[in-house]
Amino acid sequence: MSSQFAPSRPGTPPEHLKSPVTQSVLRIQNQIVQAARELLLEQGFVELLPPIIGPVTDPGGRGAKQVDIDFYGNRYKLMTSAILYKQASLLAFDKIFYVAPNVRLEPLETADTGRHLAEFHQFDVEIAGASQQDAMRVAQDIVTAAVARVVRTMGSELEILGRDPDAFAPLLNKTGAFEQISHTDAMEDLVRLGHEQNHDAEIDWEGEGILSHKSDSPFFIIDYPKGSRGFYDREDPERPEVLRNFDLIAPEGYGELISGSEREYDYARIIARMRETGENPAKYEWYLKMVRDGIPSSSGFGIGIERLTRYVAGLDSVWKATAFPKIPGVVSP
Amino acid sequence: MTGVLSAPGFPEASIRSRARDGARGVFPPMDGYGLTLFGAGGVSRPGTAEGGTDPLDAMRLVPPVFMPQRLEMLTELAREPLYGDVALDTEIGGFRSPLPFYVSAFGSTQVSSSGLGLAVSRQAGRLGIPLVIGENVVPTNGYADSSEQTGNGMLARLRAYESELPDGLGGMAFQQSTEDADAEVWNLLYSDPGAQPLLESGRLAFELKVGQGAKPGLGGMTVLQRATADRLAGQYSTDESVFDGGEQVLRCSSPGTFTAEILRQQIRFMRNNYPRARVWVKLPPGRDIHDAAQVAWASGADSVTVDGAEGGSGWAPSSFLDQVGLPLAECLRRLGSQPRSHCLLVSGRMWEGARAVKSLALGARAVGLGRAALLAADEDPEEGLARLVACLALETRMLISSLGKYRPAALDQDDVWLPGATGLGHLA
Repeated sequence: MSSQFAPSRPGTPPEHLKSPVTQSVLRIQNQIVQAARELLLEQGFVELLPPIIGPVTDPGGRGAKQVDIDFYGNRYKLMTSAILYKQASLLAFDKIFYVAPNVRLEPLETADTGRHLAEFHQFDVEIAGASQQDAMRVAQDIVTAAVARVVRTMGSELEILGRDPDAFAPLLNKTGAFEQISHTDAMEDLVRLGHEQNHDAEIDWEGEGILSHKSDSPFFIIDYPKGSRGFYDREDPERPEVLRNFDLIAPEGYGELISGSEREYDYARIIARMRETGENPAKYEWYLKMVRDGIPSSSGFGIGIERLTRYVAGLDSVWKATAFPKIPGVVSP
Repeated sequence: MTGVLSAPGFPEASIRSRARDGARGVFPPMDGYGLTLFGAGGVSRPGTAEGGTDPLDAMRLVPPVFMPQRLEMLTELAREPLYGDVALDTEIGGFRSPLPFYVSAFGSTQVSSSGLGLAVSRQAGRLGIPLVIGENVVPTNGYADSSEQTGNGMLARLRAYESELPDGLGGMAFQQSTEDADAEVWNLLYSDPGAQPLLESGRLAFELKVGQGAKPGLGGMTVLQRATADRLAGQYSTDESVFDGGEQVLRCSSPGTFTAEILRQQIRFMRNNYPRARVWVKLPPGRDIHDAAQVAWASGADSVTVDGAEGGSGWAPSSFLDQVGLPLAECLRRLGSQPRSHCLLVSGRMWEGARAVKSLALGARAVGLGRAALLAADEDPEEGLARLVACLALETRMLISSLGKYRPAALDQDDVWLPGATGLGHLA
């Protein structure tokens, strides 16, 4: 398990919704969404309403299953993430974002990580022509704006939740960019700390928890290896095997808040990367046709809104950051 | 249910006899005991390939006169060792197995959907030997098929296997090929409560199917009824020309495109996505089998399965069955000797001990029973496979001990001789 937080389960829907804790958390979440939205609109982003279903969705990683639905006799998917549509959206606008619902039937082992929901929401951001570092700056801006707004306006809610606003001082007092550490260095850190794992892979929950606990402010892990992420994260042309991507890790054991990357946009590269991730290109017909005709280069990311809320509100479990929690493997209304 | 299968060119009668009669099938018929004079070329090699051209069958196991390893065993036991002293337990792709055998995949073809899937699964579980479930089972037969009678669905086979599995032994490997990646077989299993006991006890593997044994270079082919084909139309291509638009349709899959980098990254991605499952890789008998296997092991595969071009349960064009792909013996030669950390599994016409022991001597960790397992279960759904495996284990012990060795891992290429070759160790 990645954190010191004890596993827990929600009560009945009325118990959960009437709880003062839930109500404070959801008020905080409102301010977070508001802060992000205002910031992005000020920066010239266009908010689009996200797609919910499609013939294909983000294949993702880490074993989460997609949900099939019948679309007039065709097998469609609920969005696990709208990454393919984000790239498509850049044909209309250069800077877009969604507040997007996603469904991922995560492996049962994630039920007690405190940070997985089968149904969750993301700020899904995509920027044409942007680099990895450009996207990271926007991600940092959003997190900082959200935390600042909650600290400024939600003092009494934080008090009800027992969340000390001073926990955010290192973040709010930061004048430059969040710290960045490469995946390779993070792995070496973990080995020094006695945590050995597969070096070609994602950082596991436990490892990420260790790194998160060490820090008092959010930080980026960048440049994950190929083989740990989906086909759309761009491989560095100068450094084969290295992806030009990033995660933002919250401190105090709260773990990953954001995943993002520069994107692959070249047709032949995408075909090769699809095969390298075990995908059957045939099912991506509409997407590949679009890519073949040309899409912009871009970078983007998704912020888990419930995860960001959990961090800001200081919650042990992410299910407390949603009105209608769906914990992996727990059959819920 | 019994007697529905046939296997031309395969020693069906001998397999059925062993599935029916058990260990006595290892010897010539008892009614000839004391009356018949036996010799080479008589009854001893009923499994030889049609025409006698199979190079693995043409080889002989060649016991030496001097046996230093037998002396070691004698010293340990303080008596002369016998074949019963051969220890066959081993590790197969991360699973403990009491025997160097496993049941290899048979897919969605009619032969494996006709009710034999459950019988084979149950018996393999009881034996504690690993079981591989083939590609296309989920897209074609379903995942949680409620028809427990036929055992078509993947979960039914899992339950049948697990229900009789001894603690700490065996494990199941589930294949996924490029096209059935659409059905998310691995994701389904990884998240399914029904698969958790195997997953939590380290007895779940996912096998990446890189190609077909019986038709290397082509993908899976099955003959479907038109209604089934219509249901799967969005997932698979069909060829209407083969059956002239009749009630049957040929479904053709692509095997998927692989390069060394694609294979390497797919294995890494499997390890990333399913860290608690074992990663197996099944290779077709391609001419670059050595390079492909090395890529798989270097990328972290727990086992590499090589399926010789020796036929199978699937539908394949006759020209492929007879003339395409490397025979298993040539695959083994090209693979060469492996460090013991590399788990190599082989299948192709396996059913009796000599072929199995030759394969073990030429580098395999274990051998897979495919058609033989189906025939044995077809002969007797309750005990057929168990009896066939008992025969195989008895022969394997006898053969290994005859070589003055007492573990499969002690075998090497010197134990095998190819007529016409000069000297020993000629395969290197």
